Amino acid sequence: MGYADDHQWSQRHLSHYVEGDLNNRARRRLDRHARDCADCGRGLRALRALVYAVQRLDGLAGVCAPATIFDRVRLAAGGPPPQNP
Amino acid sequence: MIPTEASLLARAQAGDVDAFEQLSGAYADRLFMLLLRLLGDPEEAGEVAQEVMVRAWRGITRFQGRSSYFTWLYRIAVNEANRALARRERQPPSVPLGPQELDLPTSPNDDPARQAEANELRRALAAALAMLPPPLRTAIVLRDVEGFSTQEAAEIAGVSQAAFKSRLHQARLQVRAAIGDEVLAVGG
Repeated sequence: MGYADDHQWSQRHLSHYVEGDLNNRARRRLDRHARDCADCGRGLRALRALVYAVQRLDGLAGVCAPATIFDRVRLAAGGPPPQNP
Repeated sequence: MIPTEASLLARAQAGDVDAFEQLSGAYADRLFMLLLRLLGDPEEAGEVAQEVMVRAWRGITRFQGRSSYFTWLYRIAVNEANRALARRERQPPSVPLGPQELDLPTSPNDDPARQAEANELRRALAAALAMLPPPLRTAIVLRDVEGFSTQEAAEIAGVSQAAFKSRLHQARLQVRAAIGDEVLAVGG
């Protein structure tokens, strides 16, 4: 397998690598290639940074469901809607 | 004594709406946040949340405990969110993961330049996630934002783990392409 084959294969598997989905052999193949390939090395760093950043997109913490969330259930059940405080 | 989830479930399946409300209410906030992330519009998320609860109530006798109740409820939510997205023309969400709502933590000690970079990344991520096709957005929200395992997230999304992984990888690659490595600060 040549550099070009390894490169195309590595580009397709960067996210799988970051996710830990590659077996040992595949992981070693990508490691080997990324050591010599600036593009794939950058790709790995980019995907790691991306996952890290997305994992921290937690600005909705503290958002509460509307008090009306069970109103239609109450109607469907034939009972009165709950008294909202 | 605080009733267990199993006892609440049994009572809800027997038609006790109070028990259903107590059972599902424990997950209402998190479920609403998921819908907000997927749909972007608080009003629409609220309406869909009501629909999710109605469907759960009507279907609760069919819940057999093969997954956790929470996973089952979340799966209904994802289905309903996808249904809502299919009903409307695709457009960038107005709120979801929006710059003001996102809280990519920055240290109080961070200098202004670093905070500006974090804000730029936040805005870029918000825009890129909003533009993903719904199945890809669902995948990245469930796995990377909500933090579900691949197995749980695939179950909630209603696809095989292999299909879910494929969606997740596509989503990450599309987001990377949309925001660029410079914004991710990984340069050459």
